[in-house]
Amino acid sequence: MMQYFKLAFTNLMHRKVRSYLTMIGIFIGIAAVVALVSLSQGLKLAVAQQFSSVGGDKILVRAAGTSYGPPGTGAVGSLTKHDLELIGNVNGVEIATGRMIRYVILEYRKELKYSFVATVPDTDEKARNLVIEANQLTTDRGRMLLPSDRNKIVVGDDYATRNAFKENMRVGDKVLLNNVDFEVVGILKRSGSPQTDMLLIMNEKTLRDLLDVPDTYDIIAAKIEAGKKPSDVVDEISRAMRMDRNQKLGDEDFTVQSAEELYKSYASILDVIQIFLVGIAGISLIVGGIGIMNTMYTAVLERTKEIGIMKAVGAKTSDILTIFLLESGMLGLVGGAIGIAIGFGLSKSVELIAVQALGTSLLKADTSPFLIFGALLFSFGIGSISGLFPALQASKLEPVDALRYE
Amino acid sequence: MIWEYFKLALTNLSHRRMRSYLTMIGIFIGIAAVVALVSLGQGLQQYISEEFSKIGTDKIIIMPGKGLLAPGTTLSTQLTKQDVETVQRVSGIDSAGGTVFGSVKISGKDKAIYSYAISIPETDFRATFFEMGTLEVGSGRLLEKGESGKIMIGADYVRRNLLKQQIKIGDKIKINDQEFRVVGVMKPIGNPSDDSSVYLNEQDARDLFNAPERFDYIYAKTAAGEDPLVVADAVERAMRRERNVEKGKEDFSVQTFNQLIESFNIVFGIVQAVVLGIAAISLLVGGIGIMNTMYTAVLERTKEIGIMKAIGAKNTDVLLIFLIESGLLGTVGGAIGIAIGMGLGKLVEIGAAQALGTALLRAYFPLYLIVGTLLFSFIVGSVSGLFPALQAARLPPVEALKKKY
Repeated sequence: MMQYFKLAFTNLMHRKVRSYLTMIGIFIGIAAVVALVSLSQGLKLAVAQQFSSVGGDKILVRAAGTSYGPPGTGAVGSLTKHDLELIGNVNGVEIATGRMIRYVILEYRKELKYSFVATVPDTDEKARNLVIEANQLTTDRGRMLLPSDRNKIVVGDDYATRNAFKENMRVGDKVLLNNVDFEVVGILKRSGSPQTDMLLIMNEKTLRDLLDVPDTYDIIAAKIEAGKKPSDVVDEISRAMRMDRNQKLGDEDFTVQSAEELYKSYASILDVIQIFLVGIAGISLIVGGIGIMNTMYTAVLERTKEIGIMKAVGAKTSDILTIFLLESGMLGLVGGAIGIAIGFGLSKSVELIAVQALGTSLLKADTSPFLIFGALLFSFGIGSISGLFPALQASKLEPVDALRYE
Repeated sequence: MIWEYFKLALTNLSHRRMRSYLTMIGIFIGIAAVVALVSLGQGLQQYISEEFSKIGTDKIIIMPGKGLLAPGTTLSTQLTKQDVETVQRVSGIDSAGGTVFGSVKISGKDKAIYSYAISIPETDFRATFFEMGTLEVGSGRLLEKGESGKIMIGADYVRRNLLKQQIKIGDKIKINDQEFRVVGVMKPIGNPSDDSSVYLNEQDARDLFNAPERFDYIYAKTAAGEDPLVVADAVERAMRRERNVEKGKEDFSVQTFNQLIESFNIVFGIVQAVVLGIAAISLLVGGIGIMNTMYTAVLERTKEIGIMKAIGAKNTDVLLIFLIESGLLGTVGGAIGIAIGMGLGKLVEIGAAQALGTALLRAYFPLYLIVGTLLFSFIVGSVSGLFPALQAARLPPVEALKKKY
C-alpha cells in the first residue's frame, strides 16, 4: 500500500504546475466552506450559550401578535398582574416573574437616543433574584439596583465603553429618560450580545410611573419545579390561561413557549441561512472537483503507454484503479488540508474584526475537531469521486492497445 | 487573419474534446450560479423600487421615532392629528393624511389569525392613500367615507383561505371580537403582509385601537413642481416648532420616498454583494481550471509551437492563438452558464409563486447582465490563459523542437 502512495506522490510531483493548480481549485472552495461553517456554527453555539444561561427550566409567556419588533409592540392581548399571579399558581411552576420591555428616549449631554429599557421586579425578592440570575445581570462598575431605588438606572456596557453617545457614561452621571431625571448607578458587565449591551435596566415601579402603565407586563417568565417536564408545564399554563380568559384551543391571544422551543426556532432560522450560504459556496467545490477530474483524465491520456507497460508486466486492473484513485484522492486531501488552514484563518480574522469593530462576541469561529475531520474526509471524498471515472477508464485499457498508443 | 486564429483554436479545442468540455463545465456552473442570483436579486430590488415609485417620488413620509420601527403602541412618542394639520399648512405641500394601524386578532368561524388592521383616511387624502398603497378591489366594492362596521380584506383571505372558510362579500368576520361586514376583497398586492391585512375606515380603527388622536404614519404629497427634499426640510422645521424640540432632538423623522428607496438599496446591495462574492468563488476556481487546461495544452503542443516558430510564426502569433483558445473556453462556458442561470432563475420564480404565493421573487434579466456576464466570462478565460500563453509565446524554437512531445 505504501508503494502505491509513493507512486502517486511521485507522479503528482512530475507535473507540478498542474497538481498545484488543481489543488488551488480545491482549497479555495474548502476554505470558503470551512470559514462559513465555522462562523455559523460559532454563532449557533453563542446563541445556545445565551439560552442555556437563561436555563432550560424556564417558560416564557407573551401576548400574541407580538410580531416583529420587541415584545410588547403592537401586541393584541396584553399580559397583566392578574396573569402573573395565575401563572405563579399553576401546578409545576416554582416561581413566575413579569417584566416590561419598552422603548424610551434617552438623553445624555444634549444628545438623544432611542433605547430599550427592561424592568426588574421590585416587590418579590425571589422573583427579582431569578431575573437577575437568568439574564446574568451583574455590574462591572457601580452597583446593581436596590429594590428601593427610584429614578435610578443601570446601563449596558456599550454606553460606558463603546461611545453609544459622543461621550462615554460614568457611574453617577445624570441622564434624562422621556424628559425625567435619572441617575446612572451601575454599568452592566459586557455580555457580547448587542441587545444586552445597549439595554437600560430599572425597577418595575419606576417604569410604571414613568410611562403610566399600571398593570401590564410584556413578558412573563416562569421557572419550572425540579423534576417536571417543561412541555407538560407549558400545557398546564396554556390551559389555565385559556380557562381564565375563556378562550378556545387555537384561539388564544397569548403564546407559551419553553426556553428550549424558543431556542429551536432561532436555531432553525440560522440553519436555513447556513444551508443557503454553504450551498452557494459548495458550488465552487463542484467546480474544483471537475478540475480534479480534468487533471486525472489528462494524466490517464498522457500515461496510456505507461499503463500498457504496467499491465504487460502483470499489474491487475484493480492495481491501476488504486494508483489513479489514490492520486486524485491525494489531490483532494492535500488541497483540503490547505483549505481548512486558510478557512480557519479567515474565520478567526472575521471573529477578531467583529470583536474589535462591532464589540460583539456572537461571531465566534468554531474550530471543533469534528469540522476539521469532516472537511478532510469530504475533500478526500471529492478527490476520489472526481478521479473515479478517469481511473476506471485507465484500468480498463487493453494492454496491447495501450502499448501501441502514441 | 483573425478568423484563421479562431478556426485554429476551435480545431485544437475539439481535438481534446473531453478536456474542453470539463473545463467549460467548470466555468458554466459558476456563471449559472451568479446569473441566477443576480437576476433574482435584481428582480427583487426592481419590484421593491417599483412599489416605492408607485407610491410616488413626490410623497413624503413622517414616522414617529427615528425611522422604520415596528408600529409602536409602546413608543413613547406619537404622531397626532395635530401633526397632520401642521404638515398640511407647510408651503409646498399639496395634501397630507395619516394612517393608524396595529396588530389585531381576525377570527372567522373556526380559526383566528393575527394580522394588521390599517385605517383609511376619511378626508380628501383618501384617494391619494388608495393610490399610494395600490389598493384596488378585486371583488365587491371600495369602502365609502363615513361607513362604519365594514371592512375590506386582503386577497389572501380568499386566495389562500387564511381563515379556513370561504369568505364572500357580505360575510361577517370578527376583529378583536367586534363584528365587521366584508364589503370588498382587494386585488393581490404581492407581499404576504399586505395581502393578509384588513382595511377599515379611520373612525372604526380609532374605536378599535382606542386611539382617538394617534397616527402611526403621516403621508404628504408635495405640490407639483416642488422639490420633495426641500419640502421635507420645511416639514421637519414646522414640526420641530410645533412640538417645541431642538434640531437634532426630533422625536419623529421626515423622509422622502427617494430617501427610503436609497436606504433600502444600500442594505440590499450589501446582502447581494456578500452572496455574489461567495458565488464568485466558483468562478475563480473555474478560471484556475482554464489555466490548468491551457498549461497542459502548451506542454502537449511544445513541439508544434517549435515548428510554427521555425516556419516564421512570431511571438504575438503564438500568444494570440493560445489566448483565443482560452477566451473561447471562457465565452462558450459563459454562454451556456447564462442559459442555465436564466433557467434556474425562472424556476425559482415559478416555485416561489406556486409555493409561497409571493410575486417578490421575480427573475429579471436586463441586457447588461447578459452582455456583462459574457464579457466577464471571456475575460476570465483570457486572463486565466494569459500566463500559459505567454509561456508558449516565449519558447525558444530550438528548445521546443527538441522536446519529444
